[in-house]
Amino acid sequence: MTDGREETFRRLYAEHFDAVLGFALRRTDRPEDAGDVTADTFLVVWRRLAHVPAGDEARPWMYGVARRVLANHRRGDRRRTHLGERLRRELAAAVPDVSDGVVQRADVTAAMRRLSARDQEVLELHLWEGLEPREIAEVLGLTTVVVRPRLSRARARLRDLLGEDPGNDPGPPGHDPSRHPQLTRKERP
Amino acid sequence: MNHHLSDETVAGLPLSLGRAELLEEIMSTPVLDDRPVATADRRRSRWLVPTAVAAAVALLVGFGAWWGSGFGPSGDDRTGQVATAPGPETSFRAVLDAPGWTVDNVYTDSRGGELSYVNGDLSFEINWYPADSYADYVEDRRHITDPPSDGEPVEVLGLGAQMWAYSDLDHTAIREPEAGHWIEARGDGMDEAAYVALLGQLRLVDEHAFEAAMPASYVDGSERDAAIQQIIDGIGEHLDPVIPPGSQRVGFSSDQNDPYHLGADVAGAVACEWLADFDEAHSAGDQQRMDRAAAALATARDWPVLQDMEERGDYAEVVYDYADQVARGQVPEGYAEGLGCEG
Repeated sequence: MTDGREETFRRLYAEHFDAVLGFALRRTDRPEDAGDVTADTFLVVWRRLAHVPAGDEARPWMYGVARRVLANHRRGDRRRTHLGERLRRELAAAVPDVSDGVVQRADVTAAMRRLSARDQEVLELHLWEGLEPREIAEVLGLTTVVVRPRLSRARARLRDLLGEDPGNDPGPPGHDPSRHPQLTRKERP
Repeated sequence: MNHHLSDETVAGLPLSLGRAELLEEIMSTPVLDDRPVATADRRRSRWLVPTAVAAAVALLVGFGAWWGSGFGPSGDDRTGQVATAPGPETSFRAVLDAPGWTVDNVYTDSRGGELSYVNGDLSFEINWYPADSYADYVEDRRHITDPPSDGEPVEVLGLGAQMWAYSDLDHTAIREPEAGHWIEARGDGMDEAAYVALLGQLRLVDEHAFEAAMPASYVDGSERDAAIQQIIDGIGEHLDPVIPPGSQRVGFSSDQNDPYHLGADVAGAVACEWLADFDEAHSAGDQQRMDRAAAALATARDWPVLQDMEERGDYAEVVYDYADQVARGQVPEGYAEGLGCEG
């Protein structure tokens, strides 16, 4: 039983570590803080392994956890664990040297800062993580029918600020988005 | 912040030792609680589901935000309408009765519902769920804090509730079950005092009062058949026949009340019929039938219902995209899932 648990966690960790760390790096000022968020997120995954959805739903679920962890960090909650010290050090040394491979242009970033926090968050999940409305809904704990118009409006507002469609040139997303739109509207039990 | 790195770039960072060490560190920690969530509620037992609240009679406030222009008046026509006082057995839905707040979205089904309001950049969302999911949700919300903890006790609609803060401007509260359901309300963009004040402006309503509290564009059960027929008639002005010859479909139906969702059900069903027809013809190599289906779908941009839906979401855009693919002779990948086609 324990071996199965560890095996499952190792697999999830291997599959999603880069995505979770990327999610955190894109939302924190200091790379060390992204290390903390990543450590705390996977600690939650470990403790609540049976809650992690199977298949493609796992990553949005983890983003949802990371989002909550990040909110706690931003509120100033002190880090309660000492996990990931080496990761913190490695991040502090490695990330400042990276100037290529970003997910979006600086002007898009600047324009997004002028949007409401709610619009920003939906757009970030779409442009940075490459999530479709169904997946964004999973992260935010909303239904797809709420997210879809919200995302559409947010895109329109950003488009107005930029004078173009941000979705056509956001740079490479965090991971490959779905190849086709996910508009399943009957996800409620 | 200059760390908008792609995941591919992140994967290339020299972090192998720290990454491996963290893995072992985490697995050496004790497992505190790993009670699985009930399968039936899997999709709704999320960490961050917004939520909850409230109560009683429905007085209408402005509904200007409801589906932009073209649907319904500002809401003044129903202002002052007071529903029959609900009984406790059926009053498990809640509406917000506060000046300046307009309905942004509503979704209901047999197990619960979701009603969201906006006021500028502020949002307030009400969800109601069956009582059997209450414990799971409370447990999830307890993990908003670290370590997990009960929420701050508050009273919502005369019952005990727990309140948590996602941030200084983002709060949620879960009300104890009543009448077979429980309510969660989440306020975003406001401080705790403003949020609690809104909790006090919730009203419990039964189904009748709930419908009375919705914007004029809300399609209740008695109006639905006519609304569906109107949509079909609008499509029929550009597409005849509306569904492919030989289709087994008998009429159109929907259980939705929101014009957008109702429109998606009906227009989506028509599009699905033609897409399936094209798919079958493509498999059979029947070029004439493929051309007929492509021509039918090419009229989608003229369907009034889709034109009305364009401002509110991407559903229409997806139908247009599928039509374009069909025009190029391609069967759109995943169209059945994308549009929610039956079967």
